[in-house]
Amino acid sequence: MTNQSLTLDVRDLKTHFFTKAGVAKAVDGVSFSVGKGEVLGLVGESGSGKSVTGFSIIGLVDPPGRVVSGEVLFKGQDLLKLDAEGLRQLRGNRIAMIFQDPMMTLNPVLRVDTQMIETIKAHDSSISKRDALARARDALGQVGIPAPDERLRSYPHQFSGGMRQRVAIAIALLNKPDLIIADEPTTALDVTIQGQILYEAQKLCRETGTSMIWITHDLAVVAGLADHICVMYGGKAVEQGTIDDVLDHPVHPYTRGLLGSVPGHNTRGQRLYQIPGMAPSLMNLPQGCTFQDRCPRADDACLIEPGITEPVPGRAVRCCHPHLDRNEEVGA
Amino acid sequence: MSEVMLEVDNLTRNFVKKLDLAGRLAQKLGADIREESVHAVDGVSLTIAKKGVVGLVGESGCGKSTLGRMIAGILPPTSGRIVYKGISLTDMNFEEAKRAALEIQMIFQDPFASLNPRMRVVDIIGEAPVAHGFCKPSEINKYVSDVMQRVGLDPEYRRRYPHQFSGGQRQRIGIARALAVKPEFLVCDEAIAALDVSIQAQVINLFMDLREDLDLTYLFISHDLSVVEHISDQVVIMYLGRIVEVAPTAELFEKPNHPYTQALLNEVPRVDQRGRDYQPVEGEIPSPLDPPSGCHFHPRCPHATSRCKAERPVLREIAPGRISACHLNDGT
Repeated sequence: MTNQSLTLDVRDLKTHFFTKAGVAKAVDGVSFSVGKGEVLGLVGESGSGKSVTGFSIIGLVDPPGRVVSGEVLFKGQDLLKLDAEGLRQLRGNRIAMIFQDPMMTLNPVLRVDTQMIETIKAHDSSISKRDALARARDALGQVGIPAPDERLRSYPHQFSGGMRQRVAIAIALLNKPDLIIADEPTTALDVTIQGQILYEAQKLCRETGTSMIWITHDLAVVAGLADHICVMYGGKAVEQGTIDDVLDHPVHPYTRGLLGSVPGHNTRGQRLYQIPGMAPSLMNLPQGCTFQDRCPRADDACLIEPGITEPVPGRAVRCCHPHLDRNEEVGA
Repeated sequence: MSEVMLEVDNLTRNFVKKLDLAGRLAQKLGADIREESVHAVDGVSLTIAKKGVVGLVGESGCGKSTLGRMIAGILPPTSGRIVYKGISLTDMNFEEAKRAALEIQMIFQDPFASLNPRMRVVDIIGEAPVAHGFCKPSEINKYVSDVMQRVGLDPEYRRRYPHQFSGGQRQRIGIARALAVKPEFLVCDEAIAALDVSIQAQVINLFMDLREDLDLTYLFISHDLSVVEHISDQVVIMYLGRIVEVAPTAELFEKPNHPYTQALLNEVPRVDQRGRDYQPVEGEIPSPLDPPSGCHFHPRCPHATSRCKAERPVLREIAPGRISACHLNDGT
């Protein structure tokens, strides 16, 4: 039974890395779905498994990592069952990815037009070079690059950081994908440039109905952009729901802690709430709930891994002791 | 007006790329080649009160780090004066200069690059205090343990190497190293930018506790406006080597005067803003090699007039304690 209106439906995804030192469960039971034209914010700190989740979806996990179990249904088709050729036809075509560092994703010795035409031709060999070039130019114009005709003939190093990221986004857009996975695309950029990229991303989703997974550690960025949010901790999705609901009434102690530690308008001069301790190593996660060592509510019940519950309609939470009082102060 | 800790007067720093032999020859033969010069900091004046926290905000390439390094004494200025406790750094005798160098300490952005990987923590923290006579070589363990405890590190770890610590702990080692010589003034250059959200909150709280306990004065350099709003009393906004606005924190965030400040504040993502419509600032940050004429911000400013193109606006007092460099203020 598949829901055709969903662009992506990830069910109980598990990606483990089998290293000499042991098994690192980078992603351990993550489920979420993205509808048409929706933006999902995938939020977590370093080592929470958010990037590996993105890589797992389009089959970019390298050994010793392996997707151990789960389903990744893209328009009803399970991507994990596809062979290399099948995935290749989807990647860069129906599903595109944008990475954090545009200097690493663009080939420094090829002109931008060469790279863009290659992307188009890889998925449509019948297209003429002139048509491909026109499409490349349109894509550059679409992401707000001035004088796209001239810029097509530039090399990546001739662009600034923000412009380079736009080129990377333009390449992702070339084949009008149904899903874009963006892995921290604005983290390396300045505030005003980040604003420009967010603006383009938002316009894109609204106008073309492209779905997007926005992977980031920055709650504030997700707050302005996403429709749904999925908070990850220690390889598990600990809380997910609509953006307003989760950010206004967080139920999981980790989400509450995160929100409390973001400095903002009302916190001036006060102490920030701090989550004690630090993120555990994926090599030796505690038995049961992964957050128990840092959680103010933890007790013996947390030694058994909590299942996913739905304490509020439309919300999925992995916690034995969720905060259910909706009037409680965040960070308390 | 409280006591002045540090005063910066018309400070300028140029970086000049000297011509090589071929360039000089070509110049002799009449080619239009000049030495490339960057005005990283261009006539900056600034006063920091004792026990104050001044936030210095700007985007990449605006000269904020260069200014911080000059104040910390790492980089000599091209022209202008830095007056510390009433004496200009250049006029100090050897003893005074040494004392000032110890009292002004710097904390760096990257906790991976700023600690020597081959030194044990006890030596990283203890080297300077022993050399400067704050403690006897035989008492180094006790001295370092005290400092480590102050920044929330377990003294048991003092025999370890930096790679055995997480990013947040490493940043604490960097802070402990600065505190070990009993400074009065800390220059924090993006000291929390590389840390995860929950760790960031811990370090921000540590900075605030240290300020209370040790009566420290801070120059807090950051690109993150929410952090600066949280921690500082006064905010300085820089753009392309020049100060564009200085104001007490609350007033600046309530009513920004300079169009650049307004644009910056507008772009800051906030957790309490959902599904917002991004309205990006036009254009790129210009290259400091070839800054625009007149007001540096005029190519991106929505209110720019012909005067902004021709004439450099001066910093003028627009309200008690607030200065701004914008021609628009002349009209009112």
